[in-house]
Amino acid sequence: MQNPYIPYPVVVDKIITEVDTKDIKTFRFKFVNPEDEQKYAYIPGQFGELSIYGKGESPIGIASSPTQKGYVEFTVQKAGVVTTALHEMEEGAVMGIRGPLGNSWPLDFLAGKNIVIVGGGFAFTTLRSLINYMIFEDNRKRFGNITIIYGARTPGLLLYKDELAEWGKRTDLNLNVTVDKGDADWKGREGFVPTVCKEVAPGKENAVAVICGPPIMIRFTLPVFFDLGFSKENILTSLEMRMKCGIGKCGRCNVGSKYVCKDGPVFSLAELDKLTPEY
Amino acid sequence: MEKRLIKKDALAGIAKKMAEKLHVWAPVKKEDNVLFAPLKKDDEPFFAYLNSQNAPKNVFFPHTETMMKYTRTPKGMVFSSEENKADEAVLFGVRPCDAHSFVLLDKLFDQEKYKDGYYISKRQNTTVISLACVKPPYISCFCTSVDGEPVSSDGADILLTDIGSDCLVEFITPKGELLAPYFGDTKADAAADAKKNEIAAKAKEAIKSKIPAHEIKPILDKNFDNPFWNTIHGKCLACGTCTFLCPTCHCFDISDEVKGSDGVRIRSWDSCMFPLFTKETSGHNPRSSQKERWRQRTMHKFKYYVDMFNAIACVGCGRCVRSCPVNIDIRKIVEDISKL
Repeated sequence: MQNPYIPYPVVVDKIITEVDTKDIKTFRFKFVNPEDEQKYAYIPGQFGELSIYGKGESPIGIASSPTQKGYVEFTVQKAGVVTTALHEMEEGAVMGIRGPLGNSWPLDFLAGKNIVIVGGGFAFTTLRSLINYMIFEDNRKRFGNITIIYGARTPGLLLYKDELAEWGKRTDLNLNVTVDKGDADWKGREGFVPTVCKEVAPGKENAVAVICGPPIMIRFTLPVFFDLGFSKENILTSLEMRMKCGIGKCGRCNVGSKYVCKDGPVFSLAELDKLTPEY
Repeated sequence: MEKRLIKKDALAGIAKKMAEKLHVWAPVKKEDNVLFAPLKKDDEPFFAYLNSQNAPKNVFFPHTETMMKYTRTPKGMVFSSEENKADEAVLFGVRPCDAHSFVLLDKLFDQEKYKDGYYISKRQNTTVISLACVKPPYISCFCTSVDGEPVSSDGADILLTDIGSDCLVEFITPKGELLAPYFGDTKADAAADAKKNEIAAKAKEAIKSKIPAHEIKPILDKNFDNPFWNTIHGKCLACGTCTFLCPTCHCFDISDEVKGSDGVRIRSWDSCMFPLFTKETSGHNPRSSQKERWRQRTMHKFKYYVDMFNAIACVGCGRCVRSCPVNIDIRKIVEDISKL
């Protein structure tokens, strides 16, 4: 039996600096033992523990989609001890990843529905995983209309710029990228995410909203969807808490009787309403 | 299963005999305390004890434990997991409340999806011998309010009960029966059984401290925001003594330690009483004051564990009551909640 506390060794295959402030990078890992990739079979919305020997571990959402074979990606902001060490790593370095951990975006529930993806700032990573999964070849027809609203404070803070450009060319999804304030080169939309949602979000019919972002964005976005008549069952989000074990034992990430690491991180608003507001 | 009788004063000899072949944990006097420790050659086990200062959970869930090791090599870091192989061991003479705690910890560490091999390997390879409380050791004992009894085989492979001149030995599980050869060959008769039942009933009766532990679950379900939670934590020092001594507290930290080119990843006991326990890198802390931490501790024991595993995570040993430096009493907290 696999010991859930032991990471799989991985090589840092590629590092992409995502933002002009240089403190958010995407790390592409390849498994040292190729057979571990099978064991790391994941679903969009799950997370992993990035494990740096001598520093510790940090729980981070998986940013790649399982349809992308041969590697797994995490987009990480430089913040604490582990993520700072990670940002100092170079391509070719060996470290570890644990997981995949947690539940996931509920793909079976999403199938056949119109999907509205709302992302703000850096919290776009597991949404990107979900988008890439849904638009992959045969998967696309399992889902209805896909509307994406993605905002950042400035153009330089948008993640995955090349991918956004590619998605913008597709006719089978409706991409809306916005920034709080543009710069001289910005030709796109300016405005806050809730305002854009009001303009472009589809009706509640057969639709699910998947929302990740800073608390302030979520606070002003939710009323937009309530006004459109979305039920709490049909609004999903993903929580973050301080974690260590990632498997519901070490005792710190519970919200009421649920462990965010094991029972989450994905919850519907209806589920969150049943939990204590301690997160 | 079989029952035998041994002389009361034979216990220490049996434990020492076992220690010649097996890894035996037994109560030993250490300065002013009695603690469970590996019985070494010249150690004298001390069975006339009330209860050990620390809960014996450390036998299965050590204070600190190596999870994996790693070495820096020219090819990068190479790591190896610590093997989850535990020696055959005997935990000799635990009190029934503490044995009950193992049943509760099993629910957490030995779940269907995520198995904690470090805990499970030690638990599976250890035979638990309970020593019944024929008299309640402390007035702060309240096991009968939380599904326990002073004479109980819950969580035990063998139960020892002092029935006067003799000690009744009951083999509860096949694992316990494997140790039968150490316990002589005097079969217990029906009279010994009757005597034990009489003693058990008296001992149960003698537990005078009672709390409405089962009644507060529906109240806790509805009172997360009750102003009552402002009334517990004022004097709390956040020392964590209650959680370290608690037989069912299982929270832990995982950290890395490096010396030269070698390092280890270890887990150590942690505590919900500490501010850093839940503090996030951003500075946000979902349990921002001692009020939230006390609510968490109380809720975890009497509501969350019940929701998750259908069991109260308290065995009524009273250690937290006796050792709190500012006299916070979980029994009073439960009592007060029952009146909300």
